[in-house]
Amino acid sequence: MSAWLDKLSETFIESGYYKLMLEGFRNTLIITAAAVVIGVALGVVIAMIKYLGEDVPWMKPFIFLCDLYVTVIRGVPVVVLLLVFYYIIMMSADGVTVAILAFGINSGAYMAELIRSGINAVDKGQMEAGRSLGLSRIQTARRIVLPQALRYVIPAIGNEFVALLKETSVAGYVAVKDLTRAGNLVRNNTYDAVNTLLLVAIVYLTLVVILTQLLKLLERRLAHGKQ
Amino acid sequence: MENNKLIEVKGLTKQFHKVDVLKGIDVDINKGDVVCVIGPSGSGKSTFLRCLNLLEKPTGGSIIFEGEELTGKRVDLNRHRQKMGMVFQQFNLFPHMNILENMTCAPVMLKKMTKAEAEAKAHELLARVGLDDRADAFPGQLSGGQKQRVAIVRALCMEPDVMLFDEPTSALDPEMVGEVLDVMKELARSGMTMVVVTHEMGFAREVSNRVMFLDGGVIAEEGTPDEMFNHPQSERLRSFLSKVL
Repeated sequence: MSAWLDKLSETFIESGYYKLMLEGFRNTLIITAAAVVIGVALGVVIAMIKYLGEDVPWMKPFIFLCDLYVTVIRGVPVVVLLLVFYYIIMMSADGVTVAILAFGINSGAYMAELIRSGINAVDKGQMEAGRSLGLSRIQTARRIVLPQALRYVIPAIGNEFVALLKETSVAGYVAVKDLTRAGNLVRNNTYDAVNTLLLVAIVYLTLVVILTQLLKLLERRLAHGKQ
Repeated sequence: MENNKLIEVKGLTKQFHKVDVLKGIDVDINKGDVVCVIGPSGSGKSTFLRCLNLLEKPTGGSIIFEGEELTGKRVDLNRHRQKMGMVFQQFNLFPHMNILENMTCAPVMLKKMTKAEAEAKAHELLARVGLDDRADAFPGQLSGGQKQRVAIVRALCMEPDVMLFDEPTSALDPEMVGEVLDVMKELARSGMTMVVVTHEMGFAREVSNRVMFLDGGVIAEEGTPDEMFNHPQSERLRSFLSKVL
């Protein structure tokens, strides 16, 4: 036991590599949080365009673009997307920024489909009631339909959040020092594969568990308001 | 009496997937009228009502509301709909808002009233239907009858010139029908123009001044409640009444 503690101390503390690990941890959090915000925002916008654009002739090109986006993103692995952003689209940008955008844009396509399924689950009478009061389609969609749709899909958005957190572990491909990359660098320099990878895995696991609990809490809160 | 007409319906037709639901309806609704629309299911009653505020887009004909043709191009439908309250069979309250917010959201969003004005108005209306103590409740906490009373005052909060009712008591448990009809009777007595699609023959007889019998997408017969219920002219109306009375 004390031998193991010594080893831990040697790998992370004495070497000063704990700083690198902390930096990786921080970057993973930043990338995930920012990407989720971008993803949800994109998802809402796209879902709304597709919802409001139905049967509106001049919206057709926009809907086509949204469909194209969703199809392309869902058909390309996120690592490839990340590399395309890093080496082609934003050549001089810093890795974290590239990762935020790539993961955000990737997540947006999935969020869009999720939120659209939520919108479809809202009773059609809600739109009619809003319109009958004199609200416009956009006003009704934003204030009446969307809040209910989001409430339906919060569990699914939570799952997407968790998936995204773990997906960011490939950010190292574009030289971002995220948690995984940091652990791998430390492993490479200390030859201590067991403890570095174990630590990385435990941190992800802990984050996911905390996130899941928070989402459960949120869900319960919202369910309560519904009563 | 030209300026007494609130809604003029001219040659209204509606097709759903090549099925003729409305086959040419002409009717004027005057200020202060309480018109009940009766008829067998599938006769086009609800479609007719929903065409009045263009929740259904008519296939042909025109709807003229307060002198403006709603079916024309470049009409600000939203502005006209503010003047046409509607009450649905399924209430359609907004489940994520409490009762007060249900009532105030439209007038406040449309800048018709300030938040304070809208809330004062909402409380006054809720008191009128005996629900002021439920202002902070959510729709899910109310009974069907309470929900429908809220739906009625939500529409009234916009201070409409006409109220459209689409089978307002059909989704209610029998013991709750009375409380909703009482609110509607009170509203009729206050002089509100109302168009009511209903199966409540007692209400039609007692409260309305005109009854329309729709059958097969046309107005098969129209008249005062006395004419319609006591002296029906057509065979179709007689057979319909014999089944429902």
